[in-house]
Amino acid sequence: MATNTETGEIEDFGQVSRTVGTVFRYLLLAATMFGIVMLAILLLYVANDAIRPLTADLGWHLTFFVGLVLPTLLVGWTVYRRDRAALSFGALLVGTLVVSLMFSGGVALLAIDVIPPLVAFAYAVGLVVPTAATVGLTRYAHRISFTTRLIATTMVFYLALFGLPGPIGDPVGAPSLVPSLVEFVLTRPVIPVDRVMVATVIGGISAAAVGSYVAGVRDWTIGLYAAIAAFLASTAAGYVGPFVGLNPVPAVVVTAVAFVPTVAYAWRGAFTEGGSPLGLAFAATVVGGALVGAVAVDALGFAGPQSWVDWQFLTSSHSGTAENAGLYPAIGGSILLMSTVAALSFPLGVGAAVYLEEYAPDNALTRFVDVNISNLAGVPSVVYGLLGLGVFVTYLGRSAGTVLVGGATLALLILPIVIISSREAIRSVPTDLRQASYGMGATRWQTVKNVVLPESFPGILTGTILALGRAIGETAPLIMIGAPNVVFDLPATLGSKVSAMPLQVYAWSSLFASEDFYTKAVPAGVVVLLAVLLAMNSIAIVLRNKFERAG
Amino acid sequence: MSMDELKTDITRQTENSPRELLTRTFFFLCAALSIVTTISIVVLLVTEAAKFFTLTAPLMGVTGQTASIVDFLTGTTWEINSGEFGVLTLVSATVMITLGSAVIALPLGVATAIYLSEYASTRARSVLKPALEILAGVPTVVYGFFALIYITPALSVIFPSIGTFNMLSASIVVGIMIIPMVASISEDAMSAVPDDLRQAGYGMGATKFDVATGVVVPAALSGIFSSFILALSRAIGETMAVTIAAGSRAQFLNPLNPASFLEGSLPMTAAMVQLLLGDITGGGLAYRSLFAIGLVLFVITLIMNVISDFVAQRYREEY
Amino acid sequence: MTRDLERNRSFSRRELLSAVGGLGLAGLAGCTQENPNLGSTAEPPSDGPGSGGGSGTLSGDISIAGSSTVFPIASAMSERFEESYPDIDVSIQSTGSGGGFANYFCTGQTDFNNASRPIQPEEEEQCAGNDVEWIELKVATDALTVIVSTDNEFIDEGLTVEQLREIWSADADVETWADVEDSWPDEPIELYGPSDASGTYDYFIEAVIGEEGSHRQDYSPTEQDRTILQGVAGSEYALGYLGFAYYSQNSDSVRAVPIKDGDGDYVEPSLETALEGEYTPLSRPLFTYPKVSALQEGHIEAFARFWLDNSTSQEIIAEEVGYVPLSEAEREQMLGRIYAAAEGLN
Repeated sequence: MATNTETGEIEDFGQVSRTVGTVFRYLLLAATMFGIVMLAILLLYVANDAIRPLTADLGWHLTFFVGLVLPTLLVGWTVYRRDRAALSFGALLVGTLVVSLMFSGGVALLAIDVIPPLVAFAYAVGLVVPTAATVGLTRYAHRISFTTRLIATTMVFYLALFGLPGPIGDPVGAPSLVPSLVEFVLTRPVIPVDRVMVATVIGGISAAAVGSYVAGVRDWTIGLYAAIAAFLASTAAGYVGPFVGLNPVPAVVVTAVAFVPTVAYAWRGAFTEGGSPLGLAFAATVVGGALVGAVAVDALGFAGPQSWVDWQFLTSSHSGTAENAGLYPAIGGSILLMSTVAALSFPLGVGAAVYLEEYAPDNALTRFVDVNISNLAGVPSVVYGLLGLGVFVTYLGRSAGTVLVGGATLALLILPIVIISSREAIRSVPTDLRQASYGMGATRWQTVKNVVLPESFPGILTGTILALGRAIGETAPLIMIGAPNVVFDLPATLGSKVSAMPLQVYAWSSLFASEDFYTKAVPAGVVVLLAVLLAMNSIAIVLRNKFERAG
Repeated sequence: MSMDELKTDITRQTENSPRELLTRTFFFLCAALSIVTTISIVVLLVTEAAKFFTLTAPLMGVTGQTASIVDFLTGTTWEINSGEFGVLTLVSATVMITLGSAVIALPLGVATAIYLSEYASTRARSVLKPALEILAGVPTVVYGFFALIYITPALSVIFPSIGTFNMLSASIVVGIMIIPMVASISEDAMSAVPDDLRQAGYGMGATKFDVATGVVVPAALSGIFSSFILALSRAIGETMAVTIAAGSRAQFLNPLNPASFLEGSLPMTAAMVQLLLGDITGGGLAYRSLFAIGLVLFVITLIMNVISDFVAQRYREEY
Repeated sequence: MTRDLERNRSFSRRELLSAVGGLGLAGLAGCTQENPNLGSTAEPPSDGPGSGGGSGTLSGDISIAGSSTVFPIASAMSERFEESYPDIDVSIQSTGSGGGFANYFCTGQTDFNNASRPIQPEEEEQCAGNDVEWIELKVATDALTVIVSTDNEFIDEGLTVEQLREIWSADADVETWADVEDSWPDEPIELYGPSDASGTYDYFIEAVIGEEGSHRQDYSPTEQDRTILQGVAGSEYALGYLGFAYYSQNSDSVRAVPIKDGDGDYVEPSLETALEGEYTPLSRPLFTYPKVSALQEGHIEAFARFWLDNSTSQEIIAEEVGYVPLSEAEREQMLGRIYAAAEGLN
């Protein structure tokens, strides 16, 4: 020890050497920064290789510097000095726009190439009608016993989705007597045009989300107006889109998924109590600057960087030449895999967490499950791949490398992580709230449904998003279950073969020894994969920060 | 637990209503799935690996080629084509990756934990922690690519004899990847050290340095140790980064000889990927060896997880 | 352009769903359209660009697995095939020849299995056991070329396989050219070759060194065949090996060494000698094995034909992928096999 603390003499107090402490402190800081800086350098390298900013004209850089960077810095500095919160709101708003644009790209991909609008529309009708019936039943028919209601609800859903006799009749070859609601919609000779159907489904979901968000901030009337406005905006986009060079369906999707939520967030941050309109100015400067820059370089004829990540890369499929290779089927594959994984792991993981936290008796079995889950979290991903191969492919005889098998394998892989983080979120719900609920005479399920889950939902969501982020980058299990290295189309059904972004990147880096793939396609793929991951991580982090502050 | 009793007491009447039963059963099934998963993994690995060994294959009704369990566990040659399955070759490579990444991740991880728990301001923490999370969130295939394309060429400036595929660059990226794991678990352990202990230290006239290294770290030692084991178990199971960066040539290397880090070899996980992508016959000996390696890997990581759990439970200071 | 393609694809996929069938009524207002699922003669919906021409009448899935050596050919062919038939979904998986047969092809999961060697008896048995009938189609020839600099005067006749083995094997202690042949200069051999990640490396071990031996490691390994060319071209005492295509496009800067196998003659690598099977052991045929029952489906037969039709293409096989294309005669023979299988003649 370099300090003289052991002597205990009072005059030594002033002579305590601070050098060691200071050196130690900075060593620690350096150690903390090491990994982050290393990664940042690697990211810079790969971004440079993929986007190649140096291939752009000097004029291009200058234009964007003058149009975007300079105003952003100036406005940012001014806003920062006036109101720090406004700057962070402005930055978040820009982030929201960027992330939601990426997300809308994914949804547009699904709407254009995977789920035909009519099918989506038919299933939306087939789900909304029985759901409405159920809600009505629950609300206005308290007298009916739960069992009866359950049977009635199940029947309504079955009728709407499968018709009579439906899959039950299939084994005996019973003819379809009553077509399902879905079937009925699918066979109408005259249907709304695509943009209207897409606007109804996606715009409807977006309007409902925005409506309840706004209602949460203000009240239900304003929320309803907001929802109507959002729905009208999405629908209108389908008709306005063609005038600005967008196809109707993507225009609807982008409006519903990106613009509407961003506007709602901007309204919330700028014009409600404690809001900061200054942040809006900052966001407007960034977005406006980017647009002005883009228009200006176009008008002045400056060439942008010859980036390998471009529209062509994002929308075409694999090619034998690196220049023409694209990531489209892999992006779509990843999106479908993630949807499957989320659909499987979220209910199962949350269910297990609820059981362990709210229901499980304190006995040996529970402790065993507990230890078991933490061990499963440490099982290497290749072993999960073997599990998928052995159980789903070999034992159950599913065909290898399909969306379903891949999704199920990845869902098993992240299930322990989802359970652990959901348990933490559930545990952080104060006991008082539960006791209050029980005190009101609520049953255990009512307490879980009305108190525990809503309170812990942001935490559960954060954990799930982070776990999905892990799943989206997993490659080894997909290799194990025999996912193809190259596909040229998006999977049409859950039983189609699927590739994923990391798998495609791995295939490029391992199966094609030509230098071009190393220097062009692989960095571009890495950049896209990382962009998606960073977007997911940032959503999770923002959610958690909000949640922690509120909790 | 009194809360549980209270719950049971209050909800006794409704506990057996159909709705409660239904939801309860659903939640229970969700939790039970984890046991089913574990059992499937164990049964699958054990039965498939049993078909691989001469000793156990007759029990599984497998005829044809098998491998001696002794040769498998002690052999130092891994050549599928000539029927030599010495898993030690692969284990040596895995040990190297683990050691190499430990050299990087353990000191850096603990230092990060000390900084975050003792020194960093709230603001710094709110920036650094998400940044570290991203470190752990980058896909391993990307890390492998980084190692191969950027780190190896950079290393070849220092070590001209380094191979295109080498253990050094693979260890470095795996090390970076597991820093956050060491850091976050250690930091949790350090944050759990009660402030009283720190105050007592300051009261004795100790400096911040003394308190951090003399009070907090020893008090959190069990947590730090369990973070080491968990992180190393993650390094052992790491697949894509080593598959891409460490090469595909299985050779027995001495993990304690620094020079062997400049060569490439084939860790267990990479061997599994290679086996599956390579020219093996399904149901054949090489195919079954996949499950034998899987079993070894599973057992090693399981033991490490159990040890880590045990250490964390057994040696945890109760405050 | 791409966007147009996508639109087309989405519309035809909808048609795919048209199992429903029925009558279409005319859509009236701007908000409605005819249901394209009903009545295949309906015009494309009003809000999309015209569905365009194209031969996209065939649709379905094709799954291919097998050798990583044949993978690049299969992927190059599928890529071109997809351009003409956007409704056919091709997936290709690199599993190794044996893994592909045993795990996927002979269990009936895949339609094609690529192989860098002929099918083995055990695999035939397994396929027969599962009633999977197949035909063998040769799709290209893989050839290795051993190269020296054009300045190299002392190797005039060529090298024997034994000499190659001596030079490249890990056990041999050949350091200078004089160690190989006494009359050659006492200068160290500079060796260039592909890295151990490359299929060429594995093939060289298999063909020259033998499976028991191992490849020496004190050479300059590289992922890029171009580096091998540059390295060899730059030095009189250098020796390297690479895929035939890289040599054939750079035959001015380096010289191919004739190879003698056993008691045969020194054979210079060329399209002819590789095709005739004279250039041994450094050339080998590459195969794909389609399932007969799959070939009887229109879209798979079309793909097999497309593949074989293009298997003589210098541009695809030699320049893009780096193998030796088939001869016209071979192509006709393979097309004949497809025809026979598709018509159920054998």
